[in-house]
Amino acid sequence: MTGEAGKAQEAFQDTVREAALRVARDEPPPDRLWYFRDARWRCIAVCEEGLQAEPGMLEEADISPVAPMQIAQLDPDQLGVWISAAPEPQRSALALFYLDEFTLREMIDLLEIKAPEFAALISSGRRQFQAWLDATTPYEEPFDASQI
Amino acid sequence: MPAKSDPLLGCAPITEKPGMDRAMRVAINRARHGKQAAAFSHQQAFDGAIAKLVHAIPVDAHVAEWFAKESLIPLVKPPWKKILLNPVVLSIALALLVIGGVFAYRVHEHLRDFPGADKARRLLSLASSTRSVLLDPLKTEAGALSDLFFMKYRLEHYDIPAEFAEFRTLGSRVFDDDEVHGVAQIWIVEKRMQLFLFPAEKNPKDGSVTDFSDWRFVELEGWTGAVKQRNGVCFMAAIRGGEKDIAPYLEKKKQ
Repeated sequence: MTGEAGKAQEAFQDTVREAALRVARDEPPPDRLWYFRDARWRCIAVCEEGLQAEPGMLEEADISPVAPMQIAQLDPDQLGVWISAAPEPQRSALALFYLDEFTLREMIDLLEIKAPEFAALISSGRRQFQAWLDATTPYEEPFDASQI
Repeated sequence: MPAKSDPLLGCAPITEKPGMDRAMRVAINRARHGKQAAAFSHQQAFDGAIAKLVHAIPVDAHVAEWFAKESLIPLVKPPWKKILLNPVVLSIALALLVIGGVFAYRVHEHLRDFPGADKARRLLSLASSTRSVLLDPLKTEAGALSDLFFMKYRLEHYDIPAEFAEFRTLGSRVFDDDEVHGVAQIWIVEKRMQLFLFPAEKNPKDGSVTDFSDWRFVELEGWTGAVKQRNGVCFMAAIRGGEKDIAPYLEKKKQ
């Protein structure tokens, strides 16, 4: 979400602190989604201090059958930086979706958007990421000596 | 995925969890077995590879230590007072109260019931809608009508109790209702009361009739009926009002 571990940690700690304060005030967080909602807004607030990405500026490409191999060549930090560079709410949508921890209902509840909008954000993010992969991490067939 | 595919497929879950929406399940099933199968398979592989990479993102040791604790923030159970003031709980409690009230009213109503109470209520509703023009004009003492009912309609034991026998009548009729046959209706001058005589309810098991000499009451839509049963015939005096409005007439004989 933030692209920087330090900022993310700060947002996480602020969320935990807020939850503890709520418990002390006898108003505990109503559910586990509260933590993610609160942390998301803190991350957005932190990121608003820096440069903002503009929507619709990236190229898109069809999902390639070799995409899993392209992705396997990536460093996790590269993916983190790419997602954190996406505009809101696409950034949050991609982060929540690829965490693979939430149901669709929970995600659209967290993001306060409708399911078709959420699907459109994920689909365009996927195609943009494929275009980025094609540009930065092209897949080359492994050399097969038997074909000579 | 092709542009014409189901929009839901764009966010098809990476790993299928229980409790997935039916619409999503149907869309995935169609995609897997339709023309989009290859494209959908590429999408799933793409998403799976990214999810794998996401889980490989290193988590700060300090944060990981926090998550290792079973209860990051202890959950405090809301106090009873807060639970009770919850609008959902309040609504349910109110609904149960209303249902309980209606049930108690019905039980109370039926506790006072007697054989023939349903017939009496039916005739009470008839009394509330009857106009005097429907009856044959007849000015005499109510007690004198017993002979008329026997002589003209062959209705035995259609006797008016002593409490009402001396009241002057305006009219009377004998008719068959859908559910009650051989009903005698008398309209009297006093408080425009109506008197009814009708066959008593028989015990469905042995066909016997159990008379009662005390006054029993039925109420319906602002009308009250005082009922007494003798010789297999029910007598009901119907008045607009409550039990207190008819009570003085029932004590008359005792005085």
